[in-house]
Amino acid sequence: MSSALLIEDLVKRFAMGKPAVDGVSFDVPPGEIVVLLGPSGCGKTTTLRCVAGLEHPTGGRISIGGRIVSEPERGVLVSPRERDIGMVFQSYAVWPHMTVYQNVAYPLKYRRGSGGDIAAKVRDTLELVGLGDYAQRSVTSLSGGQMQRVALARSLVYRPQLLLLDEPLSNLDAKLRIRLRDELRRILKQTGMTGLYVTHDQSEAVVLGDRIGVMREGKLLQMAPPDEIYNRPADPFVANFTGASNVLLGKVLGRSGDKATIDLGAAGRIEAWTPHQLSAGDKARVALRAENVRLGESGPTNVFSGRVIERRYQGMQTVYDVEFGGQRLEALELGTAARHETDREIALTLPPDQCWAYRDEGQAAVD
Amino acid sequence: MTATSVEALAAVNEVQRPPRRLAAPLWVAALLLLLTFLVIYPLLMLVFGALSDSNPIVDGFGAFKPSAKHFLEVLANPNVHLAFFNALAACGGGTILAVVIGLAFSWIVVRTNTPFKGFIAGASMIPLFVPPLVAGVAWGILGSPKTGLLNTALKWMNIDFRFDFYSMSGLIIVFGIYYAPYVYMFTASALKNMDPSLEEASEVAGASAFTTIFTITFPLIAPAILAGSLLSFVVMLGIYGVPAALGAPANINVLTTYIFKLTAWSPPLYNTAAAVAILLMAVTAILVWAQQRLLSGRSFATVAGKAFRPRSLNLGKWRWFTFGLALTYLFVVVVLPTLALIIAAFRKFLFIKDFDALFDMKQYSWVHFNSVFDNPLTMLSIWNTLKVGALTAVVGGALAFAIGYTVNRTNVAGRKSIDMLATLPIAIPGLVVGVAYLWAWIGLPGGLYGTLWILALAFVARFMPDTVKALSTSFMQIHKELEEAAWICGRGLLGTIRTIVLPLARPGVVASMTLLFVLAVRELGSSLFLYTSDTTVMAVLLLDYYEGGNVGKTAAFSLVQTLILAVLLGFTTWLSRDAAQGSARVG
Repeated sequence: MSSALLIEDLVKRFAMGKPAVDGVSFDVPPGEIVVLLGPSGCGKTTTLRCVAGLEHPTGGRISIGGRIVSEPERGVLVSPRERDIGMVFQSYAVWPHMTVYQNVAYPLKYRRGSGGDIAAKVRDTLELVGLGDYAQRSVTSLSGGQMQRVALARSLVYRPQLLLLDEPLSNLDAKLRIRLRDELRRILKQTGMTGLYVTHDQSEAVVLGDRIGVMREGKLLQMAPPDEIYNRPADPFVANFTGASNVLLGKVLGRSGDKATIDLGAAGRIEAWTPHQLSAGDKARVALRAENVRLGESGPTNVFSGRVIERRYQGMQTVYDVEFGGQRLEALELGTAARHETDREIALTLPPDQCWAYRDEGQAAVD
Repeated sequence: MTATSVEALAAVNEVQRPPRRLAAPLWVAALLLLLTFLVIYPLLMLVFGALSDSNPIVDGFGAFKPSAKHFLEVLANPNVHLAFFNALAACGGGTILAVVIGLAFSWIVVRTNTPFKGFIAGASMIPLFVPPLVAGVAWGILGSPKTGLLNTALKWMNIDFRFDFYSMSGLIIVFGIYYAPYVYMFTASALKNMDPSLEEASEVAGASAFTTIFTITFPLIAPAILAGSLLSFVVMLGIYGVPAALGAPANINVLTTYIFKLTAWSPPLYNTAAAVAILLMAVTAILVWAQQRLLSGRSFATVAGKAFRPRSLNLGKWRWFTFGLALTYLFVVVVLPTLALIIAAFRKFLFIKDFDALFDMKQYSWVHFNSVFDNPLTMLSIWNTLKVGALTAVVGGALAFAIGYTVNRTNVAGRKSIDMLATLPIAIPGLVVGVAYLWAWIGLPGGLYGTLWILALAFVARFMPDTVKALSTSFMQIHKELEEAAWICGRGLLGTIRTIVLPLARPGVVASMTLLFVLAVRELGSSLFLYTSDTTVMAVLLLDYYEGGNVGKTAAFSLVQTLILAVLLGFTTWLSRDAAQGSARVG
């Protein structure tokens, strides 16, 4: 089966400086939702806008449903309206001079070859997004969440081959964002839509995406299902961006398979999973998440003895600053009770599977 | 933030000595009194004038006999009806043309990659600064049915068509091309502030660029289009110069020219003039009210709080077409009239036999300039104009600063009334201000009538809303906490104004005062009724020359006036650029 969306070596260069998108390639099979995740300025929105045809790529090829829609080398550039796509904008972009019904009916009225019963299609789509009773309302009387539903309905109503979503939830307040996030996935899956979704919010990416692509400085670092992104980050930036904020510095002693042994100096040795081809003598940095530190436990491997320096009680959880052998890390304990005291020796286990070693290329903090 | 301001106020109150408690009410009372004197008193006198049939010069004020009958007679007069409908036709037609031009221009400048956009945007504002009478004179020279330069050119080219700008359509065209920038200003900023994804959404949804413009873009900026066209309509309605120059030869009277005609009668029909002026003011007030309502309503275009990258359409080869359109407009509205004035001012006789005669240098001389400057009134009028301009700028600037600060920065009781009185003149055409001031002062012996002060005060009142608004904007940019910090440091209110507010608002103050100066220099409508032979100003003298029928002298003096305005404007731009750089530190 051909991909709903295929991007090959996409490059977008603005007037000057580094390219905004620098050789990005991936594909999205029909019915799948791919999320592009990254900090602002990483090129995720530019990639999306290139797919939409709102930006004109400098190089590479974009195909939608097997048809090439952009290939600057051969002078191919299909206009947005010929691409058979739907798009939900960050600012909603619902037209304030029209009613809900008129907004949703607009694409049916002006698209080529989408005839049929406009009223029925609009009604069904409004039902789908839960706005069945709002058809004749003015959109300016709606709340932010409702406006975003109108925008979604407007892009779904003509069943495009591909739906593009540009940070659609980022203008909503936190509670609503979570509700709409879950609902968005239900609606997309219910309609069998293929989606490309851009966000800087990890929790959105994890819930919505069948696969997540992490981007940084115009490059796609890793494209994988959410659990792989979280458990097998291919890159120290991915690890850090998804929340592995602890970094231990050391030297590689040896490697077998995808496990490496690293000398942490005074703290001793640590065993860690690694995606890199590390060899003995390389400088390495080991990343792990605060919630994967087992405080007060002595497991089979990677057991250390440390001291709690500071305890920060946060209600639902407690954060500890732990020092061991000249290294420092943060540990997180869930639950409303904080069990460990400060200034006391404590055992800690760092499960080898959840410690990830990368070649230390001298980068400072990766955020 | 609220907490700090409360504390700051408390701190100030403690420092204040008891007599200061009276300071605020006294200050408000003084401002209200001043505004009453400047705005309310003349308007009341105007209403008195319209409702009575006694002549203030002949009978004095004691003989005031109220009669609504007189006012009703004026309303029933067919000549008034004719002037009223002429005004509606000329301004309505002019507005439609202005909307077409202004909208096209704002789209070209904001939404396309037409070359030299910045230059086009800047140059298209020039018509705003051309005094209406100068524009009218220039188009009279170009388009008078017999001797118009355009018609002479058509004759050379053996084209049978002849222009006649001494007509309703001439009025409409000149109004339309000169007041298009008002529409442009509103629509361009609406287009700039519009979330581009609103249009992108339409494109993605499958609509063509053409469909998008007419179903999304224009409807979205409809409030701005309407507000711009209402403003340009109101401005045209109050203009005297253009209909005086182009309408009079064809005997087309609009409200403004009709009002002046009434006062030029012998004996002058001041009461009738006052009644027609009230009619003009009523129409203006309704339209201004509608426009303000539109602007205060929620703006469609700005929905999201995100910073937009302006969206510009790649027109390909067509961008040279749009560039050509823009150049054509600039040629018609700037180059052509200027050329006409230059030719008429330097040629001994305007009759041009053929194309070669145009370049016959023997035909050109300074003779018209010499005769203009031989007239002692010329230098007097220039001198008077500069004096009135300076008076207006200083008095008006200081008053606007006081009002702007009181309204925006304090919470004294009565500031709402101050604001209302200061905004009231926005609904009064300049000509009506003139008639009202005439009524207010002509009968009072030893009063202001016959001095330059009456002109300056009329201008201060007339331009008060613009000045206060401009200053308020610069007040709003100064964070309240900057002032509060000075209070906390132990400064009193006046000390804070002097050391904090005034230095920070300086660019705005300088800009508004120079703007006042320029506006006062080019004002004709209100001067018409207030000048005497000793206090004549440039705009009035130009009208004299024009009505005297000597095209050469009129053109020469138009050029002199334009040159003085251009120098002033250049100086203003230079000053405000300098001031803007100084304010860059403020953020």
